[in-house]
Amino acid sequence: MRIACPHCGLRGVDEFAYFGDASVTRPAADAAETAFADYVYLRDNPAGAHRELWSHALGCQSWLVVTRDTRSHAIETVEAARDVALARTSEAQS
Amino acid sequence: MPEPLLARSALRAHVAPEIAAPAPGVVLRERTDLTLASVAAFKGREAELADAVRSAYGIELPTTPTRVAAGEVAFVWAGPGKWLATATGPVDFSTLPAAVADQSDGRSVLSVSGERARETLATLIAIDLHPRAFTSGDAALTHAASISVHLWQTDDAPTYEIAVFRSYAATLWRWLVHAGQSRGIDAKL
Repeated sequence: MRIACPHCGLRGVDEFAYFGDASVTRPAADAAETAFADYVYLRDNPAGAHRELWSHALGCQSWLVVTRDTRSHAIETVEAARDVALARTSEAQS
Repeated sequence: MPEPLLARSALRAHVAPEIAAPAPGVVLRERTDLTLASVAAFKGREAELADAVRSAYGIELPTTPTRVAAGEVAFVWAGPGKWLATATGPVDFSTLPAAVADQSDGRSVLSVSGERARETLATLIAIDLHPRAFTSGDAALTHAASISVHLWQTDDAPTYEIAVFRSYAATLWRWLVHAGQSRGIDAKL
């Protein structure tokens, strides 16, 4: 499997580290305990497209959000996690 | 009385030189003449840093994996918003409006050159170093035999320079000598 780092180009998966589901978002500080339990423990296990966090650990050290098909390992998109987080913040504000 | 500080090679005590036939295919050396500093832009102040670098050194800060040199100073891209500044003289980078940390004794820089340099590196490094993919002025952050390396090409000899965390320098040196043995390596400290 190879991942196209938006900063470095196409690199082997040996340069990357996997950090789990990128679709979960931290609940507000005053949210119910069950919301936090969901956030910490509950994960979907989709057969198909999955948004996940990767770190280009042996490269530029960037955090990435990779959309990967869990059945074929085909990668649809790779975005910088920073851009995803900024888009999410501006969405929440508008 | 303050203790005098001495610049000591990370390699000298740990590796032996390897002398090749009269016409070596690849030449390995340590760059001991470099001042190094890591430079990271403050959030939202990238343009200010770019202006400061332009006016101080006449260098356009690269935003892609490349190395830009002018005179004795060079800036190598080291990730988004990060650079490795190098100089062959005693240049003080700490006045730049950025997070600057001296790395002169934190990294070792090895120089690998000669007509079989690319093929020697290819045994350790998975990225494509063929001239159509990687040429003079290009830089990359990757790993060589699982050692994190910062690599750039300075000329078409070709000459590559590899910055590596100091404590890995001797291991990487041995890997390179091993890879170069069948290619006539000349490795002197």
